[in-house]
Amino acid sequence: MSEAQSSFRESRLDEIRREASQFGTVQQAGIRAAGSPLPKASPQTGYYQQHLLKEPQWTPLVPLYFFVGGASGSLGVIGSLADLIGENDDLARKARHMATAGSTISSVLLIADLGRPSRFLNMLRIFKPQSVMSVGSWVLSGFSAFAAASTLADILDTQIDGSPIATFLRTIGRTGCTVLGMPFHNYTGVLIGATAIPVWNNRVRSLPREFGMSGLQSAVSLLELSGETDSNALNAIGLVAAAFETWEGIELLRTRDRELAPTKQGLTGALIQTAGVLSGPLPIALRLASLFTSRRRRRLRQAAALSGIIGSLCLRYGWVAAGTVSARDWRIPLNIPEPDASTSFDRRAADSLTRRTP
Amino acid sequence: MPGLGTSVGRGGATTAQQSLADSDAILIMGSSMAEQHPVGYQWVVEARERGCKVIHVDPRFTRTSATADIWVPLRAGSDIVFLGGLIHYVLENEKWFKEYVLHYTNASTILRDDYVDAEDAGGLFSGWDAEKKKYDPETWLYKGSEPKKENGQSLPGHHDAGGGHAKDRGGEAGNTTEFETDDTLQHPRCIFQVLKRHFARYTPEMVERSCGVPQDVFLRVAETYAAASGRSKTGCICYAVGWTQHSTGVQIIRAAAILQLLLGNFGRPGGGILALRGHASIQGSTDIPTLYDILPGYMPMPFFDADSKTFEQYIKQHSTEAGLWTKFEDFMVSFLKAWYGDAATKENQWGFNFLPRVTGDHSELGYWLDMKDGKLEGLFVMGQNPAVGAPNGRLQRKAMANLKWLVVRDLVEIETSTFWKDSPEIERGELRTEDIATEVFLMPAAGPAEKSGSFTNTQRLLQWHNKAVEPPGDARSELWFVYHLGRMFKGRAARERTPKNDALNALTWELPTEGAVAEPSAEAVLAEINGRDLTTGKLLSTFEDLKRDGTTMSGCWIYTGVKPAENRNVANERSAHDALGHGWGFAWPKDTRIIYNRASAAPDGTPWSEEKKFVWWDEEKREWTGKDITDFKKDMPPDHKRDLSKGGLEALDGDKPFGMHPDGRGWLYVNSGLKDGPLPTHFEPLESPVENPLYPQHQSNPPSDKKQRPDNPYASTPHDSRFPFVLTTYRLTEHHTAGGMSRSLSHLSELQPELFAEISLELAELTGVSPNDYVTIVTPRALISARALVTPRMTPLIIQGHQIHQVGLPYHWGWKGIVTGDVANDLLAISQDPNVRIMETKGLVCNLIPGRHPAGHKALDELHELLEERP
Amino acid sequence: MSGATDHTGIQPGEVTSFLTDSTLCIGCKACEVACKEWNGISADGYDFTGWSYDNTAALGHSTWRHVKFVEGEITPGIGGNSAQQLSWEFSSDVCKHCEVAGCLEACPTGSLVRTEFGSVFLQPDICNGCSYCVISCPFGVVQKNEDDGRAFKCTFCTDRQKAGMMPACAKACPTESIKFGRLDELKVEAQVRLATLQSRGMTDAQIYDPTHTSVKGIHSMFIIRGEPETYNLPPRPEVPTIYLKDAWKSAAFEAVAMVGAVVASFFFLGRKG
Ligand SMILES: Nc1nc2c(c(=O)[nH]1)N[C@H]1C(S)=C(S)[C@@H](COP(=O)(O)OP(=O)(O)OC[C@H]3O[C@@H](n4cnc5c(=O)[nH]c(N)nc54)[C@H](O)[C@@H]3O)O[C@H]1N2
Ligand SMILES: Nc1nc2c(c(=O)[nH]1)N[C@H]1C(S)=C(S)[C@@H](COP(=O)(O)OP(=O)(O)OC[C@H]3O[C@@H](n4cnc5c(=O)[nH]c(N)nc54)[C@H](O)[C@@H]3O)O[C@H]1N2
Ligand code: SF4
Ligand code: SF4
Ligand code: SF4
Ligand code: SF4
Ligand code: SF4
Ligand SMILES: [Mo]
Repeated sequence: MSEAQSSFRESRLDEIRREASQFGTVQQAGIRAAGSPLPKASPQTGYYQQHLLKEPQWTPLVPLYFFVGGASGSLGVIGSLADLIGENDDLARKARHMATAGSTISSVLLIADLGRPSRFLNMLRIFKPQSVMSVGSWVLSGFSAFAAASTLADILDTQIDGSPIATFLRTIGRTGCTVLGMPFHNYTGVLIGATAIPVWNNRVRSLPREFGMSGLQSAVSLLELSGETDSNALNAIGLVAAAFETWEGIELLRTRDRELAPTKQGLTGALIQTAGVLSGPLPIALRLASLFTSRRRRRLRQAAALSGIIGSLCLRYGWVAAGTVSARDWRIPLNIPEPDASTSFDRRAADSLTRRTP
Repeated sequence: MPGLGTSVGRGGATTAQQSLADSDAILIMGSSMAEQHPVGYQWVVEARERGCKVIHVDPRFTRTSATADIWVPLRAGSDIVFLGGLIHYVLENEKWFKEYVLHYTNASTILRDDYVDAEDAGGLFSGWDAEKKKYDPETWLYKGSEPKKENGQSLPGHHDAGGGHAKDRGGEAGNTTEFETDDTLQHPRCIFQVLKRHFARYTPEMVERSCGVPQDVFLRVAETYAAASGRSKTGCICYAVGWTQHSTGVQIIRAAAILQLLLGNFGRPGGGILALRGHASIQGSTDIPTLYDILPGYMPMPFFDADSKTFEQYIKQHSTEAGLWTKFEDFMVSFLKAWYGDAATKENQWGFNFLPRVTGDHSELGYWLDMKDGKLEGLFVMGQNPAVGAPNGRLQRKAMANLKWLVVRDLVEIETSTFWKDSPEIERGELRTEDIATEVFLMPAAGPAEKSGSFTNTQRLLQWHNKAVEPPGDARSELWFVYHLGRMFKGRAARERTPKNDALNALTWELPTEGAVAEPSAEAVLAEINGRDLTTGKLLSTFEDLKRDGTTMSGCWIYTGVKPAENRNVANERSAHDALGHGWGFAWPKDTRIIYNRASAAPDGTPWSEEKKFVWWDEEKREWTGKDITDFKKDMPPDHKRDLSKGGLEALDGDKPFGMHPDGRGWLYVNSGLKDGPLPTHFEPLESPVENPLYPQHQSNPPSDKKQRPDNPYASTPHDSRFPFVLTTYRLTEHHTAGGMSRSLSHLSELQPELFAEISLELAELTGVSPNDYVTIVTPRALISARALVTPRMTPLIIQGHQIHQVGLPYHWGWKGIVTGDVANDLLAISQDPNVRIMETKGLVCNLIPGRHPAGHKALDELHELLEERP
Repeated sequence: MSGATDHTGIQPGEVTSFLTDSTLCIGCKACEVACKEWNGISADGYDFTGWSYDNTAALGHSTWRHVKFVEGEITPGIGGNSAQQLSWEFSSDVCKHCEVAGCLEACPTGSLVRTEFGSVFLQPDICNGCSYCVISCPFGVVQKNEDDGRAFKCTFCTDRQKAGMMPACAKACPTESIKFGRLDELKVEAQVRLATLQSRGMTDAQIYDPTHTSVKGIHSMFIIRGEPETYNLPPRPEVPTIYLKDAWKSAAFEAVAMVGAVVASFFFLGRKG
């Protein structure tokens, strides 16, 4: 400290300052940014590397809702069409009942996320086409009503033969479930896609597809797990959905946008990648295998179904969590490039500088 | 504020904050105005937007620096060198405002032959008594002035125990109406030449060597500020406790006053010195003082056995032969009539002997030491939190443990009221609750919104506040408390009519009260302060009407006019009708916003320039007119020749604006009133890592009092290797002083939740401290921990070839409230500057080590270990 | 010196705005505190960040005004206001009251509305805490209070504005760094101010008002020095509704694909025998 200095700053300290301003943290000995970055707000670090966007504030029930909703929407469609087109009355009835149960669970999950029932009613104060949440709430409500109608029709059918009320309810219910099941099973992809969260809005085109097909696969899988392992139609639908997911998965891997980092790294990346495998290639393989064996078919179909369901859950949880990770990325909304290796700090140069002592 | 008082006459800001908007350059030094006076700072910002250059000189880059045009880092405690450098620059480069200096200052006055300047005697002026460590200022007088002596000794203002507040005006040591001058300013002993020689060594090189300010930066400041001078330009200097809280504080302000006098900046719009005061009514608390050595209106408290044997002697010593202080007797008699009413008669010298006498150092810090030594029984603490805000907190808290009783009145439960159960001393085992016999009374106080009254703010402006809500519960106003306590005392005294109780019995103590709790009327107090004509009972509207025959009374003569009629309270008026805010509140004296404003006109009474036209002589109406109340005799023409027989302002020439001084001039050189010399001279702080480059024989201000003792130890500076860094303390916008009012509020606490130490990247690197880490700061008195705020805003300075690191520490934390932290003031020493007995908070030495200090008694072990370590 | 009762003279129906000028800000945080006091918001924690003097860190459900502290290179002899250098900038942030507001578009309940002053107002009695606005705000402003279950943000002091008073933050600002007034007038004022600053050599001064993006401008403009990124102001904020068309298109395509798959599968494979 007593050594004479001719200028205000030494080159070493200039280096520290440069590094600090560039990266927000300093690697050198002496300034050990232990646990905390060297505070800095700059065009390179944003505002103290603090994320600009707010994190999603949904409870863990929301991804579950995404899953249940996706499945019930698809079940509604299957339940409304399967016995009309093919001779799958039991399967269709089961699907309808599951759709009804699913839509009810969906409402419960939503209410649980909001805190109290009356808050859900606020959703229905208005209808707002530009608000996906509003559209979704109406779709959920409508779908629930139609699903309930068709279930009621089924119940009435078992009591009275050929009741005109049952026919009316059935027609209305099934038409409604088909029409609303379509948006209900995939609107959640729109819901998160059309937001400010970079990882989501980057995939705004594919998320509805991915979520929709995942819902369809879950529907198929649920039916299979409930015993419908003989239906080739279901297996075919499952294959289509899994193929679609496989394609989406590959597409995702091929896209190198940095907004997508959370889908490839970390826990969220692992979840989404696992989801890709569990709802893509793995069920495809199992389903195809099931075609060539009759003894193990049941098992294989059940395995494929289980894989599809876990995959779908992973997908929802993975993507929602990826939103949180993405919201924390301060660089993206500020358009700040990642520091690349060529400008990064030269460790060796730092080590060669000796530390002064008091 | 004797710095300003002795230089220009009154111990108050000479201007209004609004007037800053008219400045061409503003030098803010010794204050972080944007942070501590953010509302007033709007006018600095406005001025800046109009093209004014704003300069901030501060050891740290603060929010003020950030909004200034020029920031100059300097070493804490080197301000006189910097200002001396500016004075030197102005003199050397002929930048001084010639006409102003010649007519309005004492530049031409010739000094006595036996005056010896500090420059010629290694740092000491003539008159130094090495044994008593004090000056006899007789040799400082003007040539031709007759010294005032009583019993051949003891000049007023230089008692051992006296603070300097009473002598704010200076000029009591001799009859300075008579003196020799040389208007050519060539006489070697004329003040102008003395000044030149005195500051000859305060060169840019010296500034660089002592302050750590590179010469080019210094010269940029010098050029910029010196340009704000002359007929059409003005500059203002703003300071606060970054200057005052030094062992040379008063002299720093003196240096600023010299600079402003040379540049012709007093009494003019956009000029002057803005002493930024602290608490909402701190100006009020020197006007109507809470200080031990003055009476209201800057009248001296009589000293035992010195100036106060008779009233006559007292009046004679403190009156002057010309200027406003010739009226001292009018003010004093009126004041005694206010206090003692009918009991004050000509026969009993207006009750002069009822006034207590100062017998020793009863300053705050003085009595605190007495308390520690067991010489004090009880203490009222009203609106103060010394356990946190006062220096050497450890000593202070231990001192309170020696009291029999302690009354604390506050808005919240503050540290001072709980020292006996949860102070660091208890935690560390230095004090034990069961051993403390102090009976502590904590009484809830009503806050400003819960009571009516006035504030006198930084620009001498009285503003009234009306009670907005009832105080909660048992909370009562100070007025209620003191009034009713006094009533009880008086009741007792009335029953016990001994001589001891004479003063109490004589005291007037009747106030109308109202409401269930019998709240006394604050307006009635204001009326008493304002004063009345006792023959008619009418309120007075100007102090000029005060008389010495006992027919008028006034509690504080400078405030006369604030309540000129029963139904009028000027402090409560709120319709400003001009830029200076006339119509809003009352600025003493006489609602003058810029004092000494006679100086805003040239000697002949015409405005200096169209741009700075302010107050001028209207030849037609034969009176002074303009944008302010004239701080002058309204009908006294510029060519008036002094008539000593008349006294008052008529005893001065018509071109002498500084009417408080017997010669009507601004004092570049102060012939009396200061205890450490007539001219500012640089001394190092009491603790400093740097050798005094100017006066190696005298490291620190010779007459300052270190109060050095085992419980108030010092580092052995300049070369104490245990304490290599400079430490300075300060405030944050987000908190208020000792924290009782901010650490108890969540909305403020969250803004600055933790005590931190601001250090440079370089110091962090040197000490191995990471950002946000805890560090421990050590001085000979204590050690505390804080978070490290590593910032480029702190920068090491190169002083005499060495890198000097500075540690900045805000002092708002204590152990109570929403956010807590160590008490920064535990690090400080109790010291007293010679003039006003203030402690040195702004420049000391410390060490800084990474990590947090241990808890409990281990903290003391660590302290002792660190103090012993001498690498 | 103006009293607390002076009227802004602004009538409902006139679009108002803030112009927060960092070059006049002194970092006193009066705006932040005044906002909390007026609106009765709680403190949001007592954490020491070490980020210069900013310990409240960001806008959120309990911080509707937030003063940012940006430290730059410090050079002795040059103050922060000089043209050459930006050294310690303060900038008071607030909800942008977007011309096209992501939060408002997203809100399913109609809690978020456009007021008669053109600002975006969140009606706490209608908000159901779905938190969809939170992820739809491109500026990261609105946030749900997890304890309370509803979202909160700056109200633009609509209550005060209706009473003819200026917002509490603007009123508290000692240096008029926060200007409040009619949007069209402030837009002009911003340009004039920018020209002034640039003529003083502050070439790095700029107006932040993203009119060029789908946000189409904001009702709380800023004058800053340096890059917006430094202040966490996004250079290209977009309203998420711009993604809707693509998203719904893709959803429709997938829905049709699903129905097709179901129909085809059951048609070809779902028949007995
Ligand atoms: N927000 C807020 N406002 C306040 C207060 C508060 O606590 N909080 N307190 C009020 C009170 S009581 C007072 S007295 C005033 C005080 O007002 P200020 O004097 O402005 O307050 P400080 O922050 O103590 O000190 C001012 C500056 O002096 C600098 N300084 C330190 N040492 C030196 C030195 O040796 N030379 C020079 N030139 N500068 C130095 C410090 O770095 C600091 O920036 O503020 C009043 N206003
Ligand atoms: N290190 C360091 N120390 C310093 C300074 C420094 O710069 N550095 N500055 C010094 C200065 S300038 C000052 S002024 C002191 C301040 O130090 P203090 O005066 O000891 O500190 P405050 O916290 O202002 O104490 C005022 C108390 O009054 C209470 N109060 C407020 N209003 C009322 C009321 O109406 N009635 C009553 N009874 N109580 C009320 C508040 O709650 C508060 O607790 O600190 C000094 N200490
Ligand atoms: S706290 Fe009061 S006195 Fe201090 S700046 Fe603010 S308004 Fe002025
Ligand atoms: S800034 Fe965010 S919260 Fe504010 S109006 Fe715009 S979108 Fe809404
Ligand atoms: S949280 Fe409240 S304000 Fe936000 S979108 Fe949902 S209902 Fe609207
Ligand atoms: S406009 Fe009102 S609510 Fe918004 S930040 Fe300002 S004070 Fe707060
Ligand atoms: S009140 Fe004004 S000056 Fe103070 S921080 Fe807010 S915007 Fe800046
Ligand atoms: Mo103070």
